[in-house]
Amino acid sequence: MTSANRVITIEGLTKVYKGSTRPALNNVSLDVARGHILGLLGPNGAGKTTMIRILCGLLSPTSGEIYINSFSVRRQLHEIRRIIGVVPQEIALYPSLTAYENLSVYGGICGLKGWTLEQRIDELLPVFGLEKSLHNKVIHFSGGMKRRLNLMVGLLHNPQILFLDEPTVGVDVQSKKVILENLVAINRAGTTMIYTSHYLEEAENLCTDIAIIDEGQIIIQGSMDEIRNSGRFSGSLEEIFIALTGKALRD
Amino acid sequence: MLAKLIYKDILVLIRDRSGLAMLFIMPLALVLIMTSLQDSTFRSMNERGISLLLLNHDNDSMGLAIEREIKASDIFSVHQPANIKEYTDQQVKEAIASGHYQIGLIIPPNATQKIRNRVKENLTTVLSGASIIHNASDSITFVVYLDPATRSTLRSTVEVSVRELASRIESQIVLSELAKEIGARMMIPLTDPGLLRQKSVFYREEYAVKGNKKAIPDSVQHNVSAWTLFAMFFIGIPFAGAMIKEREEGSLARLLTMPCSYGSIMISKVLVYLFVCYVQFILIMGMGIYLFPLLKLPALIMDGRLGTLSVMAITVALAAIGYGIAIGTIARTHQQASIFASISVVILAAIGGIWVPIFMMPPLFRHISKVSPLNWGLNGFYDILIRGSGLQDIIPYMVYLLIFTAGCLLLSLYYQKLRKENT
Repeated sequence: MTSANRVITIEGLTKVYKGSTRPALNNVSLDVARGHILGLLGPNGAGKTTMIRILCGLLSPTSGEIYINSFSVRRQLHEIRRIIGVVPQEIALYPSLTAYENLSVYGGICGLKGWTLEQRIDELLPVFGLEKSLHNKVIHFSGGMKRRLNLMVGLLHNPQILFLDEPTVGVDVQSKKVILENLVAINRAGTTMIYTSHYLEEAENLCTDIAIIDEGQIIIQGSMDEIRNSGRFSGSLEEIFIALTGKALRD
Repeated sequence: MLAKLIYKDILVLIRDRSGLAMLFIMPLALVLIMTSLQDSTFRSMNERGISLLLLNHDNDSMGLAIEREIKASDIFSVHQPANIKEYTDQQVKEAIASGHYQIGLIIPPNATQKIRNRVKENLTTVLSGASIIHNASDSITFVVYLDPATRSTLRSTVEVSVRELASRIESQIVLSELAKEIGARMMIPLTDPGLLRQKSVFYREEYAVKGNKKAIPDSVQHNVSAWTLFAMFFIGIPFAGAMIKEREEGSLARLLTMPCSYGSIMISKVLVYLFVCYVQFILIMGMGIYLFPLLKLPALIMDGRLGTLSVMAITVALAAIGYGIAIGTIARTHQQASIFASISVVILAAIGGIWVPIFMMPPLFRHISKVSPLNWGLNGFYDILIRGSGLQDIIPYMVYLLIFTAGCLLLSLYYQKLRKENT
């Protein structure tokens, strides 16, 4: 991967929470190429969400450097916030507001206004099948509709880089299909993504690259072909995952 | 961006009906109820409200004078049994114990005659050059029965009134008998000097207010000020709740991943809730001015000081919102915030003089009250409404409140920084 092709660079990232002796992230280094989808996978407590939160600027690292589009997360967070989109694990929407009001608020904060905002909402609504519910309050939405709207908010301002933290958790097959198809389409349009999920089959189909993290360390990284061609593993991503992280239950 | 945040905060606020009720209906109801309750107490203290059962067995000058003076006073509503001769002391006691009257006063039979006899005897003794020998059987005893619920200030009012009247009558008798004796010995007709019927010492009561302000403190002025402050600080509960809800739902985190700082998110909330506090203040003032007179309560006298009051109200609102931000940032859960906010506001209100006026507190609490931001606000409101002060006079209270606000915001920013490092 050339430096020009690198959109996210993580160097020696360590995070130790106050009161904890074990680092949540331990000297992690990782690169993400422009236009790729990196599947960040790992068991519960492996450090996935910590890494996403640090990348988004929600959490300060203990040590290490992160560059997103050459901007330092420590020093140029404001510039980074303009080019990233985040789809959190939680349904980060205002339930008492309508879908339109949520889109208008978040879009407006991201700098979209007037006709540009309206046009973008009109573009995305049919893609996510929410045209009929635009003026309904989110509190009355089904789980799948909320997930789709949650994703739509993250895409409103056409981010160059999209962080997706388990975007399909708890949704029906139909909604999951719509979400995944749209993620592929968005990626083809040039958006780089970091995606975390416990659905390994979904990750295998969607992601161009995989990084498996456990106990705060990246234990394998590369495309599925690279991982298989390494000669160490064969079979599905799930089999590789179990082989690397073991069968023991995690907290 | 700030406009969108404000738009969002307004929408969230107006869609939360129970929260709105808490913000507007609760304070209005509180002011109305507390004013009505305290106004009746106020009236009972200042108008003919204290029911007194009088059993006057002395149909002579002392008994009649005490009866006349008590009836003429503005404090007591005097009741006398029709069949006074058949009415016993025990019946008076039972009437008070059953709560029909607050005070029972029994003037013993022949009280005047006993005093007169004693005075005559003493005068004769003194004028003959001998010493007066105190005889306990000559003394008279007024019996006062009190409802246990009667305030101690009221007890002393009755005691002082009876003592003062008895003492005056006794002095009149002394002077009268002395005049008679001197008149008889000197052959000068000095039967009625009338000296003690003339009052020579008066006192004038006037409220010390600035300028020509005529307003005097009443229950409305106290309650409107006190409960407006309480309501503003009570905003801390829904405010902190809204912050925690936003945090728990993940919306705050999402906002922080957008080109939007924590400061701008807080500024939006401060502006929206400042507006809410001001509307709350205007509604309560309006209720005091227009609604209270319709309910036969004293009207709130603003005396053209809405501007100064508004400045004070906005300063108090800033302090209240700052407190809400601090609680909303530090508390981990909605329950934690609501319990802490409600209990702490009640404590700050109690020590701040919202419930019990400062002058009625023990000395230690009078000092402690000075640390409550509600006390600074209350003093500011009192200065404007009751003492007729202007903006320059309330600046010290405003400075305290603004320092408190700044302290709360700095604490919140510190906790937010800690949170960014650890959660």
